[in-house]
Amino acid sequence: MVAVVTAFSRVSEPESQCIARALRRRDSEFIGRMVSRYHYRLLRYLVYWTSRRELAEDLVQETWMRVLERAGQYNGRLRFEPWLFSIARNLAIDHLRKQQTATHRMCRENEAGVEVPAPDFESPFFAAARSEDAKRIAAALGALEPIYREALLLRFQEELSLAEIAQVARASISTVSSRIQRGLSMLQAALGGGTDAA
Amino acid sequence: MPLENHEKARFLLHRALVEGISLEERQWLEAHVRECAECGRYADLSARAVRALDWFALELDPAAALRVENLVRSRAEETRSAETRAKSLWIGTAAAIFLTFAGSAVMWRPLAWLAGQWNLPSPVWQIGFAAFWWLPSLLLAFLPLFRKRLLGDDSDSNGETV
Repeated sequence: MVAVVTAFSRVSEPESQCIARALRRRDSEFIGRMVSRYHYRLLRYLVYWTSRRELAEDLVQETWMRVLERAGQYNGRLRFEPWLFSIARNLAIDHLRKQQTATHRMCRENEAGVEVPAPDFESPFFAAARSEDAKRIAAALGALEPIYREALLLRFQEELSLAEIAQVARASISTVSSRIQRGLSMLQAALGGGTDAA
Repeated sequence: MPLENHEKARFLLHRALVEGISLEERQWLEAHVRECAECGRYADLSARAVRALDWFALELDPAAALRVENLVRSRAEETRSAETRAKSLWIGTAAAIFLTFAGSAVMWRPLAWLAGQWNLPSPVWQIGFAAFWWLPSLLLAFLPLFRKRLLGDDSDSNGETV
């Protein structure tokens, strides 16, 4: 089992304190602005986790409901983003586990003659790809396990520190670093030989 | 060029991307990458791989975003008012309990005197006091707290759906 990181980066910004206070007070105006502000980032994180846009949108809503429930647990001493992402992550994992159990059950039923419907979704990465290089990268991202996609997103898109990523992923810093390396290697392999196109 | 230099360069390239490297290491790396075409390609590929993540921008549905925002706002308001109600109930209960015991302290002596006048044995009037003074007061004090459970009323639930 991975070691839980204990030393997180502490921030002295008043913003995290403001967020903690607003959450404790259930300040609906402030919380509404936060939902709007973090919507894209949360959705993107959940898309990276689940590879499904619709599911990610449902989970965004569930994440905020969970944030309201656990508002008292956020003390504002650490940055808000890792806390938010870790809540979203737990929800995504719970959902994927339930889905796996359901799929497993359906497979068992299939053995008894029940037809299993094929997944009717297109990869959101592939949908966003605009060039041949992007399509190759989309395929590589789609093939990566969510933990590697998560590590890449949190490091290079969210620009979280390794300690913060470790906090979100409940993994050691060295594990996070390896996940980033592995993810990057996959993307490099997908790009190898292609041309840069944005 | 020794093989370990290439390995060191790749190691530093990865570290530079993931956690950052010292100025001295950066200078060494830049010098090496300038000289070594293979490591230069690797550095370029690494940078492109990171930039490639920007290609997957999601298109936001403003209506969906607004729906979530409104839902969360209203849930926050519901939760706040439910918490305010719960707080008032606790304060009311605490006040009722305090008044019960304060009233008991005041009434104890007069009742003991009255029981003496009527020649009632102590256990009898004390049980009567508990049954007709403490018990109703305490029941009334705690009743609001357990109202939802007793009546099965979930109309003001504060968000237990997740």
